[in-house]
Amino acid sequence: MSNIAGKAYAMNVITPIRWYTTWTNKLFFKAATLLPSTLKGLQTLSLIHYARWVIIPRNGFPHLDSSQPKEDLHYAYMLFFSNFNGSWDQYVDSFTFAIPSGLDLFWKWNVRYPKSVPLTPFHNYIRHNQIDTAHYYNAYPMAASNDVKSAQKIKKALINFNAKSSDKSPEDFLQDYYQLLNDLQHHFGDMKPTPIVSLSSYEVKKRYEQTQF
Amino acid sequence: MATKSGNATALTVLSPIKNGAIGETSLADITRERCMRLPIHEKSPLTKVPNTYLARLFILDDVFYESLPADDAIFNFSDITSIFSDSARKKALPRKDHLKSKYLVFSSNFHGDLDTYLTGMWENWSHNDHQGIQRDVRYIWEHCVAFDKVTDCAAFIAYIKKCQLEASLFFNGSTDDSLQEQLKALYLKQEFTQFAIEHQGKSAVEIQQDFKAFIARVQPDNLTAPTWPPGKSTP
Repeated sequence: MSNIAGKAYAMNVITPIRWYTTWTNKLFFKAATLLPSTLKGLQTLSLIHYARWVIIPRNGFPHLDSSQPKEDLHYAYMLFFSNFNGSWDQYVDSFTFAIPSGLDLFWKWNVRYPKSVPLTPFHNYIRHNQIDTAHYYNAYPMAASNDVKSAQKIKKALINFNAKSSDKSPEDFLQDYYQLLNDLQHHFGDMKPTPIVSLSSYEVKKRYEQTQF
Repeated sequence: MATKSGNATALTVLSPIKNGAIGETSLADITRERCMRLPIHEKSPLTKVPNTYLARLFILDDVFYESLPADDAIFNFSDITSIFSDSARKKALPRKDHLKSKYLVFSSNFHGDLDTYLTGMWENWSHNDHQGIQRDVRYIWEHCVAFDKVTDCAAFIAYIKKCQLEASLFFNGSTDDSLQEQLKALYLKQEFTQFAIEHQGKSAVEIQQDFKAFIARVQPDNLTAPTWPPGKSTP
């Protein structure tokens, strides 16, 4: 089990949904795709790298060969995958506090979804339906999602600054340099391995060390 | 298409695993163990698959039965009234579902188009297993239904597409730059932060001279070097 890769946590949740109500969820997702402004609440959760929702119709599980038994299900299923920074509790709670109504819309009419408020039944629901990851890969274990976004801004600003200011007189250069630091002050930060915040991340660290031979 | 967000793509793959066993170990458990034994961080085979931001593998053994009472007004109503017969009340409870196959789930977030990405998986995936034997991507999918027919890259792409599920919503909370671009930017962020700290309070002439040397060293426009390698987990 390896739900953690550096600063990222992999969440997999599968929940049943009545097949005849999936069109409402698809409609909400479609609206969110077409009108990105509806995702503003989600964007405030800057701890997310990437997340997705996938609805599997009850006859939609891949069937590849006649030797494979066909699924016979009462429900359709909704898969939720997220890559986020921080602990499980921080993530689930931030969802509840930041976008409770949006969350309830996305999980609308999932079987026995308790709604995102209050917290404890929602925690129980997610834990009950969560599947652990067997292998989790993160291309930048030391970086949080905010680091990736900040790095993009620093790179662009650095290239512009070098082109415009590096050959100015030392006094003018220094003035521009201070301006650059001032503009980028929210984006700096040293990136290091994540501190050991849980037994799980300790286990991942141990496992990593075992592979270093 | 919801599977794309700008240049970022969400790939969701469910590949059914054969229901057999080798000795006393089910093929699903063998596949799970192979996934769990994959080396991590810098040594993960996914470091070699170009443009992979974040990816995961796990086994979907079954779906979950929602047996606990919850805030489901219509269906709970029958639970708290005794005017309905036991059979009617039981029918109002959630039904129990079970999968007939276990599924290998592969979920990836990457930059670019699907065919190029899957070609990269087929051609570049490589790792040494716990016995030191070099393995390619077929080792992970080996026990999936009909995977024995996959013998070349085109067949692999066709197979994965058969197992692919469309995302209803793909949320990109990061960037959709190429991975090379992201890694170079992270490298620059780290280096320039250090530069700024070390040059506090120094003279204009000194900072300017050192800045020029810094730019010559870090080469901001050169994406290939110097930069962070994929999966870099220590400074």
